[in-house]
Amino acid sequence: MKTARWPWLFALALVALVAGLSLGATRIAPGAVWAGLIDRAAGAGPIIRELRLPRVLLGFLVGGSLAVSGAVLQALVRNPLADPYVLGISGGATLGAVIAISAGIASPWAVPFAAFAGAMGTLLLVYRLSLVAGRRLDSHVLLLAGVVVSAFAMALVTAILMLVDASRLQNAFRWMLGGLWSASWITVRMFAVYGVVPLGVLLLSGRSLDLLALGEEQARHLGADPERVKRVAYLATGFLTAVAVATSGAIGFVGLLVPHAIRRIWGPLHTALLPSVFLAGGGFLVLADALARCIAPPVELPVGVVTALIGVPLFALLLKRRLA
Amino acid sequence: MASPAFSSRLLSAHLQGPGDGRFLLKLASGLLLALLGACGTRATTSVGGIVAVDDAGDTVHLARPASRVVSLSPATTELVFAIGAGDRLVGRTRWCDYPEAARAVADVGDGIPPNIESVLSRRPDLVLLYHSPQNADAAERFRAAGAAVLQLDFNHLEDVSRVARLLGPLVDHAGQGDSLAAAFDGDLARLRQPADSAAPTVLLLAWDAPPIAIGAGSFQSEILTLAGGRNAFADITAPSATVSIEAIAARDPSLILVSDSGVPALVRRPEWNVIRAVRERRFVHLATPAFGRPSPRAPALVRELRALLAGSRP
Repeated sequence: MKTARWPWLFALALVALVAGLSLGATRIAPGAVWAGLIDRAAGAGPIIRELRLPRVLLGFLVGGSLAVSGAVLQALVRNPLADPYVLGISGGATLGAVIAISAGIASPWAVPFAAFAGAMGTLLLVYRLSLVAGRRLDSHVLLLAGVVVSAFAMALVTAILMLVDASRLQNAFRWMLGGLWSASWITVRMFAVYGVVPLGVLLLSGRSLDLLALGEEQARHLGADPERVKRVAYLATGFLTAVAVATSGAIGFVGLLVPHAIRRIWGPLHTALLPSVFLAGGGFLVLADALARCIAPPVELPVGVVTALIGVPLFALLLKRRLA
Repeated sequence: MASPAFSSRLLSAHLQGPGDGRFLLKLASGLLLALLGACGTRATTSVGGIVAVDDAGDTVHLARPASRVVSLSPATTELVFAIGAGDRLVGRTRWCDYPEAARAVADVGDGIPPNIESVLSRRPDLVLLYHSPQNADAAERFRAAGAAVLQLDFNHLEDVSRVARLLGPLVDHAGQGDSLAAAFDGDLARLRQPADSAAPTVLLLAWDAPPIAIGAGSFQSEILTLAGGRNAFADITAPSATVSIEAIAARDPSLILVSDSGVPALVRRPEWNVIRAVRERRFVHLATPAFGRPSPRAPALVRELRALLAGSRP
């Protein structure tokens, strides 16, 4: 089974992309989907090119990034429960977004950007708090700092929501649920600008993480600088999660479950694990989103609901099979 | 003031009590309820005072008409003023902005759920609550403090006349309540017209990020139908739901109704321009707060919207 990793993963990604482009509120035949993709003037052109393509691309990037961030954080803090949000980033992003929504700022760039600013603010605060004596990065302090900073941000969010206009309040709550409804070329471009560098850094950090897994002393003997690896990895996951949350809210379960699933099937070595979870996480989120759009049309379910409804039973099955 | 609340508590204790020996009592009160039910949700005045059954199924018993009323929803506040009983209001929510005189009434904060202490500090003998699970606890506390509580489902246009009839006797304005209800129902009946196959399909857009459409379960959809439009999402039975831009594009509405004035910011976004009505800037603005709640002003609103729809026909 271990040899068959890449064909499976690429097939999953391909199926997800095709499904994401083919399914939606409008019934479009496969031929017309292809025509719309290559020709702007085709009948289905606007729907495919302006709605489905950015949504599928954003979904793949966000799903993949959350899965990679989750895998890296689980390795760094040596805790299987870690997910991309343990650094307090979703709290900070929510705070930024809620401030923008309550202030009534309507520009399409404003809310994602405010969320990004809030996320970066919390990331830097958490990072600074966890540098023990200003030098060493302590994983336990980092987890604690993430929890308290996130709690503080969410308390501020609640206070703001209690004090603003009711209609905006309702919409701020919907924003907090997360989803890919905000996908457009603007958010895809935002991801490309801010997300590609940290994603690249993480995908290339597999070897250092594998060395780190041997223990810090051992890693140092093999020529790695554990302190540097940890700092770079934390900042990159934080930055990447910040972009993901800013463009699509806090989508749950992808960052927690996908890395565990891939580790259970193909083992824990990070050099291969990280690209694998990127493909699997991306494919999984795009498929879940296609389902979220098609289960109860014209109503769209929050994609986080679907990722949990599919992801959790699948993962339970995987756990059981491994134990048997 | 304590006696009506006491008796109402007594009655509800009988209705909920599990006692086996109380069968006859339960039967008797059941019959009383059935009798009240047969009169619709009409309040009845008898020698013993005023009795009404609210939308939670609770019996409200007042020895004399309420003189200190706290209204915890903008719709009931407007209605109390509309039947001429505004001078009996001693409290309102911070969202109650109509009529102008409502602003002079003491503000007790939110309505769902309310601030118990702030409401009770107004020493109400009747509290009008929006019927919601979130308000059940508040209802219990108000009753325990000796105030009568009326929980109301106020979600549709038909609720305006129904609640006016129910509320009138409780605030000693039964005549005004009845006549407002009759005038309102008559007005709406005159506005009803046979279904028009050429009726324009209209998207009622509540929000754009995420896109939230108003469904058939909302009175706003009823107003649109009366005005001669067809709700693009009439198949959504809920008051509102999150939909995708693609679903809107698939419905291809000929008009989009927005409550803000001016061209909405979404026209500058390429993904929204997949919708024909956005590309062609076919927006209708209904910038009145009356569109935010079922209100006696609904017939006027229907006429206004009808004129707007007629004006935007190609």
